[in-house]
Amino acid sequence: MIRFSSVNKWYGEYQALVDVNAEVRRGEVVVVCGPSGSGKSTLIRTVNRLEEINRGQIFFDGQDIHDKKLGLNAYRSRVGFVFQQFNLFPHLSVLDNITLSPMRVHGLKRVEAERKAEDLLSRVGLSNKARAYPAQLSGGQQQRVAIARALAMDPPAMLFDEPTSALDPEMVGEVLNVMKSLAQEGMTMMCVTHEMGFAREVADRVWFMDAGKILEIAEPEEFFVRPKHARAQRFLSDLRTH
Amino acid sequence: MFDILRDNWTLLLIGQYPHGPLGGIVLTILLSLSALIIAFPLGILVALARISPLRALHAPATALVYMVRGIPLLMVIFWVYFLVPVLTGYPVTGFVTMLCALVIYDSAYLGEIIRAGIEGLPKGQTEASRALGMSYMKTMRAVVLPQALYNVVPSMVTQFVSTIKETSLGYIINVQEISFAADQINNRLLTKPFPVYLILALSYFALCYALTQLAQYLERRVTFKRAGAVAKTQKGDELSLAEPLASEN
Repeated sequence: MIRFSSVNKWYGEYQALVDVNAEVRRGEVVVVCGPSGSGKSTLIRTVNRLEEINRGQIFFDGQDIHDKKLGLNAYRSRVGFVFQQFNLFPHLSVLDNITLSPMRVHGLKRVEAERKAEDLLSRVGLSNKARAYPAQLSGGQQQRVAIARALAMDPPAMLFDEPTSALDPEMVGEVLNVMKSLAQEGMTMMCVTHEMGFAREVADRVWFMDAGKILEIAEPEEFFVRPKHARAQRFLSDLRTH
Repeated sequence: MFDILRDNWTLLLIGQYPHGPLGGIVLTILLSLSALIIAFPLGILVALARISPLRALHAPATALVYMVRGIPLLMVIFWVYFLVPVLTGYPVTGFVTMLCALVIYDSAYLGEIIRAGIEGLPKGQTEASRALGMSYMKTMRAVVLPQALYNVVPSMVTQFVSTIKETSLGYIINVQEISFAADQINNRLLTKPFPVYLILALSYFALCYALTQLAQYLERRVTFKRAGAVAKTQKGDELSLAEPLASEN
């Protein structure tokens, strides 16, 4: 579904992505983990072209996403993105946050869009917050609204960039539960996260990155119990000892 | 002072109308309002052009801003006064001259103010909107500009109020606004400059204060709506978003 082919990226002299070759299969949940600065966020942001690559290709559903003939906006509407900082629109109500893009991009009528939004809100457990504003919500609630907002575009794939890293610990669970149910419904997901419990439970495969390279790709049980790469072993032992 | 007011109030209010052109406070209000109604949308366009990656938009907008910032309004008025009849071939009234000058001047300043508002928004807002598949223009209209314009209301109101005061320069080219009217009264009375110009100052103050109050009222209503009655500070009747939103850190 999402294929990276010899992807390289430089920020000036610094190489952020080094020859990345990997694929997220349709219906698969991939967790990308690794130490800070390993390029995980950069990698996931190249998928919807929030970051551009310098060399290599990325294919989404078989199509080269850097093809000049590709409509960038239409493409982005097919890839849902959930940010670490939620990035809800503070000047709009929760309902308007969710209905904005379906109405403006897909041309839905307000009634249809609102019905869809209310549906999604109940899926993420926030039906009673439709008229609230982001400032009135907790972090966990805001992130769930952000997930609903991304789902409103009916994307075939969802990208999560450290969705729980900015949340207080007690709210992490509610967001992970939404992500778990999405995974169970068969959504193709690529998640950058530090939540190893989530990875063990939900991921089909784990990609371990360091210094811009994918060092190891393995199934969660194998990765967490018997990591092959020395750096991965060090990473996991660092995680455990605190 | 009150007898001066009593004798001259029509001149101060509406100039020599109906025996001459419209003037006084009414003209001042008319001039500032027209200038702002045109300069505000133009200011938005200037701001968008200034941040545009397209050279064809960026270069002229930047040139305009640099030029206007570099010369006094008085010079802009003179240039318009002498240049517009040459360019169009028609003579132009003082009112139109002042209007053009004010629009050129204020759209440049408003453009910079609005640009500051746009660039001051967290990048995440634009990223989230574009990630949903919204185009640049849709993002600007639905996400960026509503927030940016709201954020720079204090600066914009200062500029709007400044426009009211800038109309006083119309005096130089015989536009019959209130400064001109006050000057006429003073030239007639000769021995009472202080009360005359005090009346003038009070008139401007009343106008500017009314505008500031209106802006504060509008700002309060929007803040209230956005913060959902949760954010109220202890400071008098000023409301502000007390906490930064979690999504903006």
